[in-house]
Amino acid sequence: MLDPLTLGLIVAVAAVLAFVAVLLGKAVLRRLAGRQLTRRPAETILVVLGSVLGTALIVASLAVGDSLDRSVRQTAYDVLGPVDESVRSATLEQGDEVAQRLAPLASDPRVDGLLTIRGDQAAAVRQGADGVVAEPRVLLWEVDFDAAAGFGAPDASGLDVADPGPGGVVINANLAGRLGAGPGDELVFHAYGQRIGATVTRVVPAEGLAGLGLGASANQDAFVSPGVLTAAAAAGGVQPTTTSLVSNAGGVESGAELTDEVSAAMADRLGPLTARGASVATPKQDVLDAAAETGESLGSLFLFIGSFCIIAGILLLVNVFVMLADERRGQLGILRAIGMRRRHVTGEFAIEGAVYALTSAVLGAAFGVLLGRVVVAIALRILNSYDQGGNQLRVAFEITPASLIGGAATGFLFAFLAVVLTSVRIARTNIIAAIRDLEPPVRPKTRTRLVVLSAVATVLLTAAAIPAVVASAATQTYLLPTLAAVAAVPMLSRLIGSRAALTVVALGVLAWGLLANTVRPDIYDEASTAPYVVLGCMLSFAAVTLVSLHQPVLLRPFRRLVERPTQRGLATRLAVAYPTAKRFRTGATLAMYSVVVLVIVLMTQIMTVIDRNMDQAVADATSGWSLRLDYNPTTPIANLGQELTTGPFAGRITDAAPLTIAVAEGDDPRLTTDVQLPVVAVGVPEDFTFTPPVLDARLARLPSDRAAWDLVRLDPAYVLVDTLYGSSGGPPGEPVAPGQGITLTDPRTGREVERTVAGVVRDGSPFYGVTGADLRFPVFMGIDSVVDTFGVAATQSSAMLRTAPGVDVPSLATQLQGVLVDHGVVATDLGAAVEQSYAANNQFFRLMQGYLALGLLVGITSLGVIMVRAVRERRRAIGVLRALGFQARTIRTAFLAESAFIAVEGVVIGSVLGVVITWLLYRNSAAFETISGPYPIAWGQILTLVAVTLVASAVATLAPAQRAARIRPAVAVRVRD
Amino acid sequence: MDTEESTPLLVAESVTKVYRTGSQAVVALDGLSLTVGRGELVAVMGPSGSGKTTLLNCLSGLDDIDGGRVLVEGRDLFAMSDHERTAHRARSMGFVFQSFNLIPVLDAAENVELPLLLAGVPAHAARERALAMLAKVGLAGRAGHRPAELSGGEQQRVTIARALVAEPAVVWADEPTGNLDSAMAAQVMDLLHRLNEEEAQTIVLVTHDDDIGRSARRLVTMRDGRVIGDEVRSAVG
Ligand SMILES: Nc1ncnc2c1ncn2[C@@H]1O[C@H](COP(=O)(O)OP(=O)(O)OP(=O)(O)O)[C@@H](O)[C@H]1O
Ligand SMILES: [Mg+2]
Repeated sequence: MLDPLTLGLIVAVAAVLAFVAVLLGKAVLRRLAGRQLTRRPAETILVVLGSVLGTALIVASLAVGDSLDRSVRQTAYDVLGPVDESVRSATLEQGDEVAQRLAPLASDPRVDGLLTIRGDQAAAVRQGADGVVAEPRVLLWEVDFDAAAGFGAPDASGLDVADPGPGGVVINANLAGRLGAGPGDELVFHAYGQRIGATVTRVVPAEGLAGLGLGASANQDAFVSPGVLTAAAAAGGVQPTTTSLVSNAGGVESGAELTDEVSAAMADRLGPLTARGASVATPKQDVLDAAAETGESLGSLFLFIGSFCIIAGILLLVNVFVMLADERRGQLGILRAIGMRRRHVTGEFAIEGAVYALTSAVLGAAFGVLLGRVVVAIALRILNSYDQGGNQLRVAFEITPASLIGGAATGFLFAFLAVVLTSVRIARTNIIAAIRDLEPPVRPKTRTRLVVLSAVATVLLTAAAIPAVVASAATQTYLLPTLAAVAAVPMLSRLIGSRAALTVVALGVLAWGLLANTVRPDIYDEASTAPYVVLGCMLSFAAVTLVSLHQPVLLRPFRRLVERPTQRGLATRLAVAYPTAKRFRTGATLAMYSVVVLVIVLMTQIMTVIDRNMDQAVADATSGWSLRLDYNPTTPIANLGQELTTGPFAGRITDAAPLTIAVAEGDDPRLTTDVQLPVVAVGVPEDFTFTPPVLDARLARLPSDRAAWDLVRLDPAYVLVDTLYGSSGGPPGEPVAPGQGITLTDPRTGREVERTVAGVVRDGSPFYGVTGADLRFPVFMGIDSVVDTFGVAATQSSAMLRTAPGVDVPSLATQLQGVLVDHGVVATDLGAAVEQSYAANNQFFRLMQGYLALGLLVGITSLGVIMVRAVRERRRAIGVLRALGFQARTIRTAFLAESAFIAVEGVVIGSVLGVVITWLLYRNSAAFETISGPYPIAWGQILTLVAVTLVASAVATLAPAQRAARIRPAVAVRVRD
Repeated sequence: MDTEESTPLLVAESVTKVYRTGSQAVVALDGLSLTVGRGELVAVMGPSGSGKTTLLNCLSGLDDIDGGRVLVEGRDLFAMSDHERTAHRARSMGFVFQSFNLIPVLDAAENVELPLLLAGVPAHAARERALAMLAKVGLAGRAGHRPAELSGGEQQRVTIARALVAEPAVVWADEPTGNLDSAMAAQVMDLLHRLNEEEAQTIVLVTHDDDIGRSARRLVTMRDGRVIGDEVRSAVG
């Protein structure tokens, strides 16, 4: 039932719990851990809350993946229902033969339905009281309603209604909604150059057969009696397309498991027909595969974003336990002195850690489910806004047991490991130092063994790093040299002292992180998120280490303020004294703030750079073609160029270039995936290439973009592809390069052709919608090449229009749709479409930033915890200060200033790194190559982020600061720790 | 000058202090009255739990009282707001406690200069005076050390330096030698006596140590929150 990974996680959690149970067997440990946990309930709750977020983010990310999977899978129910396989035939004769050959399958136990229907795209018009309402993209079918009702029995077919009879039509809810039509309304369908009038007899939900479509996820379907369409087509001198549908035994999803077997059996039966274009399509399996892939890629995107917050959560736990140990140093020292073993100390912490980890894992899982719901709802709304076509996904929330258990278990294990590793370190404390509350002794000479180990590790890691850097392997290029440098710290400490050693190493890591991509420009070619996580962490940690080591230097400019002999000056002095002295806890908190702020600022900056470039992007993408017309291939517009540039549109439309397109599949020359990519072959006419879309790259021998377009137009051996060819939403990675070969497959015949990529189009977005709703990567070639390669599949159903300057494009689009309604015209304003996808991109970035903001919340919680602890630890010192004459509000100010100091440093480190990284990307990355002008900095947004973070941090410190101010001076005398 | 000489430095009149924990009430000071003149070194002795620490806390204004009055330099301590009392403390009191009560993240000189900075002395002058004071307690070479890097006796001497640096009217000391060995304790007591004699520093000192008690010119004995003995000797024994 559960996958091996989840099972492994469960086993690991069980092992940890068993280990803790054994520890609980020891009465001393049990008692100590119990007392420690219950001693300060408020603090325990704070720590648990802080660590809850880690698990919550893991679970929520997985839930986003599951839900997206579920939402896409939902389309299998909506548009396919019982349909598992289909065969399309262009002629009636072939359609009948296919049906005949497949008929024996009816007795096959693996098949529970066979249905042959005929139909094509049509436009529908309703003349209402309120004017004409038209829907250009309707699927109009003639079906045997009895057969349709029983198709796929015992499961519902989705279309179980009485035959509407001649002159009647059954429409689905999608179409009814678009037209505002109901039973009794008169509709006119335009197909095959004919007008077919019909009265609506029924409106059915758009599910199963009634939502049928091949590709899109929300279809407008209409069903008429058998013979109606055939007759209309005959009148128009054409034949309707015949589609034979097969339903596998079983329900909507379980049926798909038989797809391979059944489609093989079908191909067998079709025999020679396959070669004539009647091939088996497996739409259900395709939808389910797409669902899994979409779910996975979105889930991992959120997991990637979440990983920064998870790192913050782990830092919080480490920090808390280091502080706990600090506070209990005296106790621990005495316990160790009276004979408690190191592993007992670790054991006691392990029990405590397990309680924290378990509680926060359980609560985190619950909170993660809630969080997931919110994110899914927002994410789907954004995804749906990318696409004005029919590709709307319904929001379905789902979390699988594997995700829930796996997420909670991962959260638990992370938390537990963080605690145990921290406590192993704690257990090594020097007993004497602990009892006397001294800083752990700084050994004058690092032990020889450690130095040798350090030297060996440095050599090994360097040896491993060299080939990785040479090969530009992204993650290792960052990680291995960093690890080698870190490994060298003990050795260097021996030579130049630990402070200098750490400084040198941190500087080195910082420089490498910032500059590696200039030395190895290819490291971003992998479409992977891992290098970004590594990069973010190493930069933050290195910067934080540097800052922590050199606080006094950084504070020098403020010396005047600190040294002022006033209450405020003294407050400032105290505020910086503690963070400067307690380097580890300050550093861990700084790291939390900076790593999260870094990523938020990075995203803000990237958005700003992209936005800045939007006008240019629109110009590049459209290259002056401002409108795209898509029309019904069964009612082509004769002499389109002539038709549109004269008559009512004369003077407004200056040029019209019809495109010849064919649906196909293509492989990925970079071999990042072995699935066939959905592509659309786009044949471009000569006049289109006079001002063609801009290319990012082309074969070296071609002198201009124009030459590349001419080459593909005239030489069938070459094609152009889009920059995003083969991308799946994450970091795009390296685009296909000119000169690479791609294989295109005709899905009907299975015929494969080899083509060479002559160039890469910078932004092919105007072409993504040409096949209707489904997203296909455009591949550009000559018109002849499309026709020769794909035969009857090649259709003319789109055209690019160029408008005269000053023309109001949106109103022209509306007018075109009205005038050309017979042809089912859909006019797309290309500039607006590009802007729309930019807007959707921005929203997506915002959503991810919102996700990251949760990580910031971890940082702020952590600051709160630190300050609460600080108040407790310093009770006596505060009492002394009050006895010396410090005012209560000075104490409060000092605490607020202390937390502000940490927060400001963390936020500034993160922001600076974020801006610097994007600046380096801006200067060096191919992705921003085309963007010119000075580097924009989103001051407004960054300052808002800084301000909000600081205010939130101040709020988190308010209560502890107040508490500190209330400590009475007599405490100085009484409290003896 | 004259009025200052004539009014006693500190007058406590029928001071009562009751600690309440849950249903129990402990009367720690029971209508206690005491007067301390300028330049006196007063030792307070008494059995454990007799209220010595409470006396010190209440008479110095570190803790609130439940009845009576405390006048320091003629001003009623408990008629002041917390803010005024704190400011008054900064100006005219110094403290030495049993456990050394230095701020762990500040070094010796920084600890010592705190009261000066509180009094508004500019940073540079404050540092000079702090170093001079440290030299006076024999720690000239340790100015840059953090408390954890000093021995118990050294820490206590830093505390004394801090208590005295701002030239307070009175220094309160609660068992200043409690954590020290006898040699170290003798050093610290020598220091206090010297300051009292040479600079007429007023000191109120709580102690368990009979020798120390007897070395003081005035010895106050307590029991159950009351003063049961108050002897002034002419010569130091
Ligand atoms: N915070 C408190 N709550 C309740 N009772 C207290 C508190 N502080 C002190 N007491 C009680 O008040 C009484 C006087 O205490 P105080 O500390 O003044 O004694 P002491 O003479 O200094 O004793 P020692 O020589 O042991 O230090 C004792 O009975 C003590 O138990
Ligand atoms: Mg006492």
